[in-house]
Amino acid sequence: MADKRITIRATRFDPEKDKSPRLQSYDIPFSDDSMVVLDALNYIKSHVDGSLSYRWSCRMGICGSCGMTVNGTPKLTCSAFLRDYWPRSVTVTPLNNFPIVRDLVVDMEDFMHKLKSIKPWIIRKQEIPLGAGEHRQTMDQIGEFRQFSQCINCMLCYAACPVYGLDNEFLGPAAIALARRYNLDSRDQGTKERLPMIAHPDGIWECSFVGECSVVCPKGVDPAKAIQQTKLDTTMRFVLPYGNRE
Amino acid sequence: MTEQVARRPALAHLFWWFMFSQGGVLAALLIPVHIVVQGILGPLGVVKVVDRHYDTWISILGNPIVKLYLLVLISLPFFHFAHRLRYLLVDLGVPAAKSFPAQVVFYGAAILVTLVTIWVLLTTAPISLG
Amino acid sequence: MSAEAETATRTYRPPMGAGWWTRKGHYFWYMVREFTALPLALWLLWLLYEIQRAGRGPSGYYPPNSTAFVIFSAICLPFALYHSFTFLKLAGVILRVKLLDKPLASGVIVATMFGTWLVASVVVGAVLIGFGR
Repeated sequence: MADKRITIRATRFDPEKDKSPRLQSYDIPFSDDSMVVLDALNYIKSHVDGSLSYRWSCRMGICGSCGMTVNGTPKLTCSAFLRDYWPRSVTVTPLNNFPIVRDLVVDMEDFMHKLKSIKPWIIRKQEIPLGAGEHRQTMDQIGEFRQFSQCINCMLCYAACPVYGLDNEFLGPAAIALARRYNLDSRDQGTKERLPMIAHPDGIWECSFVGECSVVCPKGVDPAKAIQQTKLDTTMRFVLPYGNRE
Repeated sequence: MTEQVARRPALAHLFWWFMFSQGGVLAALLIPVHIVVQGILGPLGVVKVVDRHYDTWISILGNPIVKLYLLVLISLPFFHFAHRLRYLLVDLGVPAAKSFPAQVVFYGAAILVTLVTIWVLLTTAPISLG
Repeated sequence: MSAEAETATRTYRPPMGAGWWTRKGHYFWYMVREFTALPLALWLLWLLYEIQRAGRGPSGYYPPNSTAFVIFSAICLPFALYHSFTFLKLAGVILRVKLLDKPLASGVIVATMFGTWLVASVVVGAVLIGFGR
């Protein structure tokens, strides 16, 4: 099977020259069963066409840089095995719902802004001095938010979210899931500070629970669940007496 | 995006979502049995159903508990429907369905159905405890 | 995005298109779930009309009998069941119930929702049929 080959079709877009993106086809050797889509792109870049642009870093599913659309589904290309597609061709396009900067590279500015806006860090009303020792948590308290803390900011959920695609003002899955991660943390006291972003018309209320964000998440985070639970919790804050007090 | 200083919780959105979820639960729990019994089994004559005869239908409609049940059964799901259909339009590429006038039209329709239901329930059968 | 960044590099934003929900089975079934609102609304409006019809007195009343109505109900039923199934299943994802300080497994919550559905259906069905003649 030394001469097994696979066809990779990749989006090409040069903002200086092209009006809109086009697909370019590359026929490359599929030499090793453990090859992933990112390996194929790296092969193209070093042996066929050095001008192909894409983001990548760790190639082990933890940095969240190499997210692209593979045959219509948002994937980390370092974790998408060619053997799952061969002998069909593999079409690699940039992540949906983001502006394309060049080839397979998208502009992540909007996501970064949203991520920061929900204050994804532990907020204390009063910082405990370092000398007072660590904040201790029980396993149950960690269990409350652990799942939501696995997010690697790869933006696959934004690419899968039609609500974000239809209106970029939507705060989006990962940002809300991370907000919930901190709201559920027993060490955090910032729920009220995050509330204005979360409960804004462009926040949780825009989500219509398509659920595809949770399907594509490579880290098993369930942003759809986080958003619906946040809707319910936020509603209860205002419906229950004294629910809005800290 | 606007700066977050100006951001406040959208209480209107919160309220309509609350009504949407309550109506959704109610529709899920109660509508199928009504469709099966009143819409299919009754007309096909498989079972005897209360709305097959005038006297049984009018007497059960006079019961105040039944009136209250029917009010909740009919009106609450319409807040669910209004919300879903508004967002269905958004999904189909009509961003105008997010606007304030669209909210007035859709949730207004649900309020209208509620008022009509109250009127119908109060005018069709006299209240009786029988 | 800042205005400077926009002018520095020209980016391309692919159009979304109104047919996005035909591209994936999951999206399509989501749209079906949202669409269930329409047949259910129509059926409830019929029920309201049926109640209103009783106000015309004994001589003007006839039971709902037409074939068209049975077909209409038969079309609404799958949508109603799909709504119930999806909504109650998703409610199990959303609700977080704690019993003796331990969070209840979502499977238990979903089972409770479906159990409630069964009980409610039996009770309502019994009343609708039990008072019939």
